[in-house]
Amino acid sequence: MSTHFSLYQPGSSYLHRLHPLTKLTFSLAAAVVVFGGPGGWLAALFPGLLAMLLLWRAGLAWRAALTIFRLLALLTVVLFLVHGFLNPHNKSILLSLGPFGLGQEGLAYAALVALRLAATLAASLLLTVSTQPAHLVQALAEAGLPYGLAYLLGSPLLLLPQIAGRVRSIQAAQQARGLKTEGSLLQRARALFPLAAPLIFSTLVDVEERSLALEVRGFSAPNPKTSLNELVDSPAQRTARWIMILLAGLLLAVELSWRVYASH
Amino acid sequence: MSLKEQLKQDFSTLTLALIAVAIVLNIVLGQTVSLLKLPIFLDSIGTVLVALLAGPWAGALTGLLTNLIWGLISDPVAAAFAPVALVIGLVAGLCAKYGLFKQWWQAILSGVIITLALSIIAIPIRVYMFGGVTGSGADFITAYLLATGKDLFSAVIITVITDNLIDKVATALLAWAIVKGLPRRFTARFQRSSSVIG
Amino acid sequence: MPAIEVSSLTYTYPGARAPALQGITFQVEPGQLIGVVGANGAGKSSLCLALAGLIPALFHGQMQGTVKVCGLDTRLHTPGQLAGKIGLVLQNPASQLSGMRYTVYEETAFGLENLGVPRSEMPARIERVLQQVGLAALGERSPYTLSGGQQQRLALASVLVLEPAVLILDEPTTMLDPQGSQAVFKIIREAVEAGTTVILAEHHLEWIARYADRVIALAGGEVILDGLPEEVFSSPLLLEAGIGWLRCTVAAQQASPLGLWPASMPLPVTIDAAAAGFSKAARKLRDVDPDQ
Repeated sequence: MSTHFSLYQPGSSYLHRLHPLTKLTFSLAAAVVVFGGPGGWLAALFPGLLAMLLLWRAGLAWRAALTIFRLLALLTVVLFLVHGFLNPHNKSILLSLGPFGLGQEGLAYAALVALRLAATLAASLLLTVSTQPAHLVQALAEAGLPYGLAYLLGSPLLLLPQIAGRVRSIQAAQQARGLKTEGSLLQRARALFPLAAPLIFSTLVDVEERSLALEVRGFSAPNPKTSLNELVDSPAQRTARWIMILLAGLLLAVELSWRVYASH
Repeated sequence: MSLKEQLKQDFSTLTLALIAVAIVLNIVLGQTVSLLKLPIFLDSIGTVLVALLAGPWAGALTGLLTNLIWGLISDPVAAAFAPVALVIGLVAGLCAKYGLFKQWWQAILSGVIITLALSIIAIPIRVYMFGGVTGSGADFITAYLLATGKDLFSAVIITVITDNLIDKVATALLAWAIVKGLPRRFTARFQRSSSVIG
Repeated sequence: MPAIEVSSLTYTYPGARAPALQGITFQVEPGQLIGVVGANGAGKSSLCLALAGLIPALFHGQMQGTVKVCGLDTRLHTPGQLAGKIGLVLQNPASQLSGMRYTVYEETAFGLENLGVPRSEMPARIERVLQQVGLAALGERSPYTLSGGQQQRLALASVLVLEPAVLILDEPTTMLDPQGSQAVFKIIREAVEAGTTVILAEHHLEWIARYADRVIALAGGEVILDGLPEEVFSSPLLLEAGIGWLRCTVAAQQASPLGLWPASMPLPVTIDAAAAGFSKAARKLRDVDPDQ
């Protein structure tokens, strides 16, 4: 499996051993609190710090931090530039560069957005770095997700490297026939169809054989399915999940009612 | 037929296999085309194809899951835009259902409708979650509009529409052409494809 | 009870002008190996799909006649219900992977999980079948890193682990190199020896001539020949149908009017029979054979 396509890192930390639903609940609850909790930047800071703390205890914090940096660095720079100079609410100018002024309000806004994104990302990485995708899918299926949906969540992950490989060979074949993928806009636009069309046609034709193979292995058998791999859960984790859900809901309710109250 | 029966028919094993493949096509083509540095993404081609072959629900699911999966394995930012991808599939399927994908010029029109529909969902997400920017080339447009005095919301509206219009029209046209060009034996297994092929 | 009973099977794909299968009737006893031969488009694949119960359930279209496998009428049972009893292996090794499992071992377990087999039974069955197909050492590898031949053996393993009574193979070696093909054929033979009824649609006529108990030849969706390999592979109908003869048969036929093939012997369909016949004719020519 190509690691290029996956955030998951195999390991044996306590995070790895937690039930996937527990981690999923944490990620979703954290996202709700970050964007919908009371206190503005405090609501973003605490879940983010908590996530990093949990990751640090599992020895995964450094890797998570690098990933957050990789994914958000460019966006953060753009945020600060655009809102620092161009945010319509800018009043207090800190620095002047010609006709443009770096505004405090804009910078504060950019910082808040960046913090929120980083916190949500940290919480979601807690799930994705420590959970094998197939196990997450299995956890959802055991929780009642229809099996077809579980298939749709799990299968593309494995098909991805195979079809990506096919793109490379199509590209090589077309380039050997003289296809240019660089140059003027028109040249590049012309390259689109010879690359996209063979890929789409060949993968679609496959679909029929794929579905037959699935049927033959009992994919749509009427009985309940068993699983080779055993996911370990515990009453403590179940309780923790409920607490997280209730807490997130409570904080959201507080923020919403405060906003409604404040607008009167 | 009832909704439950319709859903069951729409989601046969064949459709599920199609959706799985379409999700991968979205991701792979999105990556491939970005290397060509054109003003289009083609990262919804699978979504629209499924919508044409298997209906609006299947198309919506394809879009939703594409972004969720891409978010799971590579870029969680994409997961935030999952509702947008869902709307693309839903609207494409509805356009096909109401006869708007029969001719090539209708496909173009559908592309425009899809752009407008997705903007309704994309703009709030972009403004409230990401402060109006995405770290892509479209931010130049947003910056320019802000510099000329527009408020953030209007700037983002214009950016999103212009950014997506060419791509969604191209995607709709390409999907239409592909469905027309697929072997009859294949499309015959998808009931919904008759709204495109006739 | 026959393992397979096909009675006047006629099937037309939706939107097609002519039937893909017409009036097909035959029976198969348990434990036999039946070879199905025919030119491309003759109906081999359609017959395989019909025997597996996937036609008409998944393809719709119009079907007349009946197909009964292990006493089960395929029109009265869904593919999901038939899955453990009938196995099907197709041409393209990579498309038969479930796409849901990261290792060869888990991929083999996929069918067992779908059929609700208890977890405690799985390891023994998986290990046994992986030994059977020669993939035991590759249990932890990703299915997508295997060669075509290995993937096809994995497809076989995934189906054999369900212990089907009937195994149907539709041109399983077409996309494999000679080594991969031989490995697949060996597994098929061992399955037959273990009691599985096998239907093998193939272009590799030599292998079918050597090991099949019976051969059915198709042309234009109809059965044109049904009998022992020696009878079918030396019938002129095979040439008319575009299937062709084996080279050893052609050689013997051309040698016969020259006195280089014994008139008393039927035309050979295997190398061994050809060698025996030619050496007998050679001995006669040297006046060494006392029987002449």
